[in-house]
Order: sequence, then C-alpha cells, then structure tokens
Amino acid sequence: MTATTLDSQFARHFSAAQQQGEALARRSAAFARFKAQGFPTRRQELFKYTDLKPIAEGEFDLVPAPPTTAHRAAVAECIGAAALDFGGPRLVFIDGHFAAELSTGTGQVPFEIDSFAEHWDRSAAPATDAADTHVLANLNAAFMHRGTYLRVPDRLRLVPLHVIFAAGPTDGLAPQPRLRIDIGANAELTVVQQFLDAGNPAAWTNPVTEVRQDAGSHLALYRLQEHGGAHCHTSLLDVDVGRDAHFAAAYVDLGGRLVRNDIDVRLSASGAEADLSGLFLVGAGRHVDDHVRVDHSAAHTRSLQTFRGVAGAKGRGVFNGKVIVHPGAQKVDARQSSDNLLLASNAEIDTKPELEIYADDVKCAHGATVGELDSEQLFYLRARGVDAEAARALLTFAFANRVVERIALGRLRDYVTQRISGLLPGHDHWERST
Amino acid sequence: MKVMEEPMLKVENLHVGIDDRPILKGLHLSVGVGEVHAIMGPNGSGKSTLAQVLAGKEGYTVTSGSVTYRGADLLAMTPEDRARAGLFLAFQYPIEIPGVNNAYLLKAALNAQRQARGEPQVDAYEFMRLIKDKMELMQIPADFLNRSVNEGFSGGEKKRNEILQMLTLEPTLCLLDETDSGLDVDALKVVAAGVNSLRGPGRSMILVTHYERLLELIVPDHVHVLANGCILKSGDRQLARDLDERGYDWVQEEAVRA
Repeated sequence: MTATTLDSQFARHFSAAQQQGEALARRSAAFARFKAQGFPTRRQELFKYTDLKPIAEGEFDLVPAPPTTAHRAAVAECIGAAALDFGGPRLVFIDGHFAAELSTGTGQVPFEIDSFAEHWDRSAAPATDAADTHVLANLNAAFMHRGTYLRVPDRLRLVPLHVIFAAGPTDGLAPQPRLRIDIGANAELTVVQQFLDAGNPAAWTNPVTEVRQDAGSHLALYRLQEHGGAHCHTSLLDVDVGRDAHFAAAYVDLGGRLVRNDIDVRLSASGAEADLSGLFLVGAGRHVDDHVRVDHSAAHTRSLQTFRGVAGAKGRGVFNGKVIVHPGAQKVDARQSSDNLLLASNAEIDTKPELEIYADDVKCAHGATVGELDSEQLFYLRARGVDAEAARALLTFAFANRVVERIALGRLRDYVTQRISGLLPGHDHWERST
Repeated sequence: MKVMEEPMLKVENLHVGIDDRPILKGLHLSVGVGEVHAIMGPNGSGKSTLAQVLAGKEGYTVTSGSVTYRGADLLAMTPEDRARAGLFLAFQYPIEIPGVNNAYLLKAALNAQRQARGEPQVDAYEFMRLIKDKMELMQIPADFLNRSVNEGFSGGEKKRNEILQMLTLEPTLCLLDETDSGLDVDALKVVAAGVNSLRGPGRSMILVTHYERLLELIVPDHVHVLANGCILKSGDRQLARDLDERGYDWVQEEAVRA
C-alpha cells in the first residue's frame, strides 16, 4: 500500500465535510503517526520473524463499502453453520459494518453499545492513546469505520457477549474493526470475539480491542480466529487491569495466511491479575506470531501466560512474551510458558520469552520448549493397538488441549475441541499448500 | 495322546542390534499355547531388548533370524497390528501421556482390537461394565479413569495400570517386562493376582524378570536364563530358585565349559 493510495483513501472518506472536528483531528493525528513510521519491516526487532510484505505491498480498501446482499447471505450461512450460541447477545459485523439483521439480543442488555467514533466525540479524555505506539493500531485509528464502545456498569454480571467479525467473499477489503470495553467496578463479563470468512477472500483485517477494567471486575476474552487461508490479520489487544481485577484471555488461531497478534496488558494496581493463553495451529505455508507484553506496574500483581503452538509442513509460528516488573512492584508473581510442537521437518517455530525485572522481591518463571511428537508416547499408543496416524493425531490433540481446557465457557470449549479435531495430522490443513 | 500343536511364539536364531552393536546373538525360544515362560538374566543381557523387539519398537535392527507368532511373521507387522493380533507388552517403564486420559486410551485400545476382529465397538456404558471388576481387582480407584495416562502416577500405580490394560484387552500373548521391579510386597501381590487371573489354556505369557520373588507368585512352566544375547540354560521353576541362591555366574561358566 503506497502512501499515495492511503492518502487518497483517507481524503475520500474523512474530509471535514464528512466528519466532526474532534474525530477528524484524532484520525488525522493517528494517520500522521502511521505515516511517520510506515509499515514495520523485518529490520525492526519487534518484526524480526514476521514479514508484513503481503500487507505492505498489497492493495487494500481500508474503508470497505457496506456489504452487498450476497455478502450478507454468505456470512449468514457461515454463522448458521457454526451454530454457536452462548445464550447472550450477538453482534455481527460484515466487512467492518454492523449487520443489525444478523445481530441478536442487542436490545435486552443493560449496557451501552455505542459507536466508538461518537464516544470519541463525547469523551473528554483520549480513549486510544495507550494503543498509539503500535504502528498498525494508528492505521486502525485513522481508518476505522465506526467502532463499538461498550460500557458495563458497576456490579453488573452479564451473559456472554458474542462478537463476530466476518469477511465476505471479496478480495482486497481491509476492515479496521475497533472494540472498546470499559468494565465498571465489580462487574463481570465474558466476550467471545470470533473472526471468520465466508469463502476464501484475500483480505486483511486489522482489529484493535481496548479493555479498561475498574476495581474488582472480571473479564474473560476469548478470541477465535478462523479466517480462510488467504486472509492476513494483524490485531492489537490493549488491556488495563485495575485494583483486584481479573483479566483472562484465550487466543485461538486456527486460520489465516499471515497473522500477527499483539497483546499488551498493564497490571496497574495492586491485586490485578492476568491469565493469558494462546494456541495456534499453523500448516501449509501459514504464519502466526503472538507478541505478548505484560507490565507489572504495581505490587501484588500476578500474571500467567500459557501459550502453545503446533506447526505442520511449511508452517511458521512465533511467540514473543515479555514480562516487565517495574520498580517498586514487589511481591509480583509472573509465570510464562511457551511450548511448541513441530509436526514436520520444514516447520519452524521461533520462541522468545523475556523478563525485565526492576524489583527485588518477586517470583518470576519462564520456559520455552520446541519439540516433536514423543516417539516413546507414539510407540506406547501403537503397542496398545492405536494406529500410527491416530496416535499422532491423539498426541497432537492432547498437546493443544492444554490450552483449550483453559476456556471456561463450555460451549466454546466444545466447539474449539471439535474444530481442532478436524485439523489434526491426516487432515488436509497440514498437507495442502497454498 | 497329545496332539502336537504349533507353538504360540517361535523365535529362531534371532540377531538384533542397535547402531551396529549386537545385543541378541542367536536367540531361540519356543512358547507353547497356554504356557508361562520366565526369562531371567543379569542386567544388560538383552531381556528388555527381546521384549521390545517382539512388541515392534523402532530403533532396533534385526540382522537375522525369524519370529513366528501364531503362524505369522511377527517382525513384518506394525506395532499396532501386533497389538490387534493379541500381543501385549506390559512396559518396564510405562509412558506418561499428559492430556490423554486413561478411559480414552483403554477404550481406544479395546475398540481397535474389536474392530480388527470384526466385532462391534463398545459404548461408554458397556465399557464401564467391562472394566469395573478389573479395576477393583487391581485396586484402582474410579477417579483414575479421568486422569492423564500414567501422569503423576507412583511406580506401583503405573504397573497396576499396565495390568489393568492387559486385563481389559485380554491378549493372547502377554509380555511382562520387569513388571515386578520397584514394587513393594503388597503391590507385587496385587499385580500377581491380576496376571494369574488371566492364566488359561489359550493364553501364553513371557515374564521378563530379575527376581525370583515374582515367580513365587506367578509360577512359570519354564525358566530360561538369558545372558550375553543367548539363552544359556532352560529349566523349570527350580532353576529360578537356584539362580536366586547362586547368582548367574555359574550358568555362564557352565556355558563356557560346554
């Protein structure tokens, strides 16, 4: 995407005639910040293993038109086929646009679902600065369509919210979804964020999710990425966890061509906790990169990272997990693990756990492993009559399941289990080359 | 008059090595239907290699010789085909498999065998009915079924789990590789009771062991001494007692003289 192309798209959609002053100023500032840096390249340490060329050199429409009837029908069929119902409201976005006809239960819930742009206009405090240091998040801030703003009032305990970002079967679209969740004190919420494609579009999705948790609140965020094999995906999750608040996230990446997830969590007050887990299955020339950063800014904060990756033939997985314990943040407990399974000799995993500790009374542990299926375990299963391929699939599943079983939402856990079972060795997810 | 029967297992002149290092050097063994054989020998004699080669473990090179199991060329079969044909190895060191629970493995193993025999699969209810008594016999608590295979098990629990699998699969030929090692007397009795409950006219067993004490509880029909890759001497249970009293050196000296 050349600067000229981006400029002309920006000018076309976000001129003074179309936008309120404050929102336009923020978009322009974010766009300027993006242009000052441009797309990250592999020369930058944070993108050492992930080449964004398919995005940087591709041609995308960052402000897709409202979905056509055909797109809506294709997405409706996809959602129907998955048949995922968590008993709460469902918000559906197609090509970045809210699809009211596929969304359900939005009227029943006692929290605000608002346009993020409108929230920008109304709020005095800047809502996005925390995410501004991420280059692609700036692009999101500049080009996002409307975004969704969710405010959960204090002490409210809610049924699970299902947010679906679907892409229609057209190449070249690049929606920039934005989700902001503010959770009041002692409130509880579970969010399932699902990305899926109708068909196999060569698209690019660049979502930014921001979470602000007040004291004593609980949020579980489950992100399920099931794009087709031609879809690029770059995401940022930016979380600020308040006093005695608990944040849990599980990132499950089953699809996509080139995927980069940035997860930034700040434990900014005493007693804040984050339980982060992730699982990717990459085969057939796919690439997934999980970049996690946890800042322990206050004493008595705890974080746990459990990330697992499975790479098949020509698949590439990257994990980078950084834990920073800031000065004065005593009695911190931070644990991190990255375990990876290589199913083929031409699969690749790069994993790098990092600890930066500026306090002296802390408990920190990290570990990273990369290995193949255990030949002793395979033989044991075969010696019990399980055939070689089934034994490989079973062991791969058992490996992946350690992350899946961390999903507390039963219906989602069952769904992910079933999806993974269909992607085990022997299935063409691993053999097909794109 | 006794009808001459084909043996269950016939090992002839078996030579096996790892990385050009010979371990079994011309081993002969014939195990008749319904017989229990004990193979004893010092450390490093090749006992475990024999058990693993019979079960189909990779990494060994068979340089010559043959193994015939119920009339078939055993060495040409995959490990899973051997298991489905009724061969069972109780591992010396049972493998931990995090994330795969015992119930799943037992059921998968049982159904793989049934499928190979053209029998219908067992469902969850029938499976529970089948293994309930066997779990009691092996003194294994019910919650064990939901635990990962051998993960966090004590040495004794792992060995009892091996025997539970054996009882469930009802193999035709049982290979027990040092099943007694690391067990206290009580655990040994439980394991022996499990093994003895399977003894019967159609089923053969090979007990690989170091110690005679197992053979006081599971009485063998034949005892063989394996040393330096060959069977040096064969006899009845008295041979095991002699070995217990006198060690292995005299057998080896006898063999050298002969």
